[in-house]
Amino acid sequence: MANRIILEEKPNKTVFREGDVIIKEFVPGHPKEHVFNEAYIHSCVEASGLSIPKIRSVVPSNGGWALTIEYIEGKTLDRLMQESPQMCEAYLERLVDIQLEVGGYQVLQLRNTISKMDQVIKSVEGIDAATRYELLQRLHGMKRHTRLCHGDFVPSNVILRDDGSYCVLDWAHATSGNAGADAAITYMRFSLDQPEYAEEYLRIFCERSGMSVRYVQKWLPIVAAAQLAKKNPSEKELLTQWISVVEYQ
Amino acid sequence: MKNENAKKITTVNELEKKLRRMRLAQEKFASFSQEQVDRIFFEAAMAANKARIPLAKMAVAETGMGVVEDKVIKNHYAAEYIYHAYRSTKTCGVIEEDPAAGIMKIAEPIGLIAAVIPTTNPTSTAIFKTLICLKTRNAIILSPHPRAKDCTIDAARIVYEAAVRAGAPEEIIGWIDEPSLDMTNLVMRECDCILATGGPGMVRAAYSSGKPALGVGAGNTPAIIDSSADVRMAVNSIIHSKTFDNGMICASEQSVTVLEDVYEEARKEFEARGCYFLDPKEARKVGRTIIINGAVNAKIVGQTAAEIAKMAGIEVPERTKVLIGEVTSTRVTEPFAHEKLSPVLGMYKAGTFEEALDIAEKLVMEGGPGHTSSLFINPDEKEKIRQHAERMKTCRIVINMPSSQGGIGDLYNFKLTPSLTLGCGSWGGNSISHNVGVMDLLNIKTVAERRENMLWFRLPEKVYFKRGCTETALDELGSVMHRKKCFIVTDTFLYQNGYVKPIEEKLDRMGITHACFYDVSPDPTLQCAREGLRQMNSFEPDVIIAMGGGSPMDAAKIMWVMYEHPDVNFEDMAMNFMDIRKRIYVYPEMGKKAYFVAVPTSSGTGSEVTPFAIITDEKTGTKWPLADYELMPDMAIVDVDNMMNQPKGLTSASGIDVMTHALEAYVSVMASDMTDGIALKATKLVFDNLPSAYLNGAKDPVAREHMAMASTLAGEAFANAFLGLNHSMAHKLGAYHHIPHGVANALVLTYVMRYNANPVPVKMGTFPQYQYPHALERYCDVARYNGLAGKNDQETFDLLIDKLEELKKTIGIPSSIREYGISEEDFLSTLDEMTENAFNDQCTGANPRYPLMSEIRQLYLLAYYGKDTKEAALI
Repeated sequence: MANRIILEEKPNKTVFREGDVIIKEFVPGHPKEHVFNEAYIHSCVEASGLSIPKIRSVVPSNGGWALTIEYIEGKTLDRLMQESPQMCEAYLERLVDIQLEVGGYQVLQLRNTISKMDQVIKSVEGIDAATRYELLQRLHGMKRHTRLCHGDFVPSNVILRDDGSYCVLDWAHATSGNAGADAAITYMRFSLDQPEYAEEYLRIFCERSGMSVRYVQKWLPIVAAAQLAKKNPSEKELLTQWISVVEYQ
Repeated sequence: MKNENAKKITTVNELEKKLRRMRLAQEKFASFSQEQVDRIFFEAAMAANKARIPLAKMAVAETGMGVVEDKVIKNHYAAEYIYHAYRSTKTCGVIEEDPAAGIMKIAEPIGLIAAVIPTTNPTSTAIFKTLICLKTRNAIILSPHPRAKDCTIDAARIVYEAAVRAGAPEEIIGWIDEPSLDMTNLVMRECDCILATGGPGMVRAAYSSGKPALGVGAGNTPAIIDSSADVRMAVNSIIHSKTFDNGMICASEQSVTVLEDVYEEARKEFEARGCYFLDPKEARKVGRTIIINGAVNAKIVGQTAAEIAKMAGIEVPERTKVLIGEVTSTRVTEPFAHEKLSPVLGMYKAGTFEEALDIAEKLVMEGGPGHTSSLFINPDEKEKIRQHAERMKTCRIVINMPSSQGGIGDLYNFKLTPSLTLGCGSWGGNSISHNVGVMDLLNIKTVAERRENMLWFRLPEKVYFKRGCTETALDELGSVMHRKKCFIVTDTFLYQNGYVKPIEEKLDRMGITHACFYDVSPDPTLQCAREGLRQMNSFEPDVIIAMGGGSPMDAAKIMWVMYEHPDVNFEDMAMNFMDIRKRIYVYPEMGKKAYFVAVPTSSGTGSEVTPFAIITDEKTGTKWPLADYELMPDMAIVDVDNMMNQPKGLTSASGIDVMTHALEAYVSVMASDMTDGIALKATKLVFDNLPSAYLNGAKDPVAREHMAMASTLAGEAFANAFLGLNHSMAHKLGAYHHIPHGVANALVLTYVMRYNANPVPVKMGTFPQYQYPHALERYCDVARYNGLAGKNDQETFDLLIDKLEELKKTIGIPSSIREYGISEEDFLSTLDEMTENAFNDQCTGANPRYPLMSEIRQLYLLAYYGKDTKEAALI
């Protein structure tokens, strides 16, 4: 057995590298359907021809389930940005370009963004009925698109190889839906984790996609509510503020 | 009344049952009379009005937004103004009737209305919507916003209970007790129409439900204060509007653009009246507080200026009315350019009125166009008001009024419909652009009874007839009308043979100077008319005399048009019409320069009494058939002395033309009692006199005179009843194969008659007076008038055909087109084109049988080979 290098430890899973594969091992009791669903989503995107790591297997492991995924050589955009801060703008541009390329794919087997968000908003705890009503109203006022949305398109999920080719990781949250929603998620993740890049990212995204800032912003209360469901205490204040907005009436 | 409606509606299942019960209630309500409905409307409005203060208190307590005293006004308005506006409006049964026109309008309810109620105006909107539904016999289910559900439901309950006490069916008003978006979507899907007041998301959901929706959208009302405005009134109006219910009315001003020269004055007035100008740092703080990621912070909606300032971390006097940020950017990223739903206002400075319009226009377009815009200005500045109205893509443009109170109508202008649901047009994604009222909640059935077309009978002002009348008629030009200059149009033959002489001599005796253009050729051309016109223009006549057969009269009519109206376009004038009274092109008025006299020398075209003329463009070969009562001669002089020496060929061709005119006018779909008598008389005169006129010419002056009368009578008939397919086909046959018009008519006459007489035509002509195919009966009238009677209609008709065939033979008409001398090759090579052009001829429309092109083609072929006319009866 090759050496196991632990990459990430979370309450519900451990991620480690073992030779040429990455293993995502979920704790016992973690719902089986979630694991298989992630494998399914991943496989669907894989079949689209987009450059992503190949899924190797879904296996029982230590009383729970584990996904085995191909290991990809290269550095993540996140790491590249840390290594060369002076290149950040160029990397953000690259990030946007790749995101738009991903959005050019259609993987219709995936769940639609709006239905997924609907379910999440209906079940998220800690928001009052009026706010939930407003959020759902906002969500259902959106047009139904069918672009491939990664759902967590952040620099740490994009590997850039020396030859300039890329590979996009972690497809657990992918849906078929609105590119505006996907950009809103990226903007939100920047605002939460690396606020210095948030506005720059949004500017570049809107410039390159031709989408209006206002349209991406319309998704923010929705994606913020979905993010609230993850119950990260450090994010609560900002996200709560983001969701308490009203539409003109 | 408490039992079923008291049941709380909290689940989809309960809601579905509720909707079914409401539909039954509405079915009952639909049979209520106007009196019953008006009583319910009255009682419900009174009850809502009585409850205006408790409802206002409840709304503020529940939503934490707005001002109790202002909500009292809104509730009061929703009850009183809405009642007042519609108290005498008919909404049940027959609401409009015009027995003369045969039009009746009947109002019917739509059924079940779904009403989405906003948080900003919950009780007043609930009162408004329930009242207009009661007035229109609709059931209404309210979907409140969770933030305002209790007060919304209470308002609806008060109206509901009063309505039921006044006799309305139970469950006619309903509501969702525990609102959720799923339930709102369900009522929107299940109802018959949606009254959706709310934001863009709600409005989009309403429109995508698949049910008709009356929704409103976002607004971003920009106000402009012009240099000419009463600045004090303007500023205080804006403050009054902006502070009303803490800025929550959708039409409220979001920004004000002030012209540079009154900027300081306006600023001082704002300050003096308790508004607070934020410095740039404060403005940034307030901006960040009111707008989050481009959306309005829910916490600031309907709060006071002081509370909002506190949230932003700045201190302002407690009684501050409005927070004002002086800004320059109109981009979405500028919070003060945004809609704010609170007493916060953006203020812009403009160097010119044009610049102010630019700013206001950008703000409207950025904020979502369609809602409302406002202008303060001297009312005499009409041009600026017009410019502003032209530029703003908003459905309400209010001048010199607080826009909150102004936009909802009937408060600052009494013709603007009072309403709490304001349409934003297609700009706002709405189906309507006006203030919603009861008429939007009705299905109007229009009952239209069959009526006959209006007809008229048009003739020249004067028709002189009887032998020797020319002298008397011309005398009138001098002694009565005092005309000075006469222009005569005729052809070379008539001129050289002295026909014009007596007229010229008479004119000389009266001292009327005259000139003569005698160069008109048969089938007159535009070039010929232009030449005549050139002479006419230099002569400047005040009377025109057209003397001759059809060609000089047509040419003179054209010259007359061009003389009076040099800029006319023949292509426009020649455009086909379905009904001469509804034609697109309006003919210019004739007779301002010259009086038009027609003197026929043949019998005839009837052109002296008809509003028609045909002119050919020599260059292109195009024939322009002109038809309009403006082309009617003013005077016709039918004097057989001018017709005595017509050559035989002309007597024959124009004589049979008269017969065709009379027959076609008699069977036309537009034939009427006014034209029937003269058409019949004309047929008899032709049958009785044409053979002798043809054989004996001037030796039988009586026959000549009868033919002259026949020609004019037939002209009068077809000038008013029009012609038919016979003429359509003859026009093209004549044009393609150079056959004289009358002969061409004769060659197809009996075929077309057989074809028309078919009692089972493929299609009949469209005209209200033409009720069923009856050409056969009409032809039989003609037969009997001429003394022909068979055992039945068919036999009688056969006798008429025989008599016509005999007449044709007597006057030397060939028996077929081929016999006339048209080669088969020539004929067949033009057949398809002739067919289509004949179909498209102006005369086709009045034919009793609407012809298919294939049928016209068959008729042409039968007439070409001289087949038995009975074959045409089978088409």
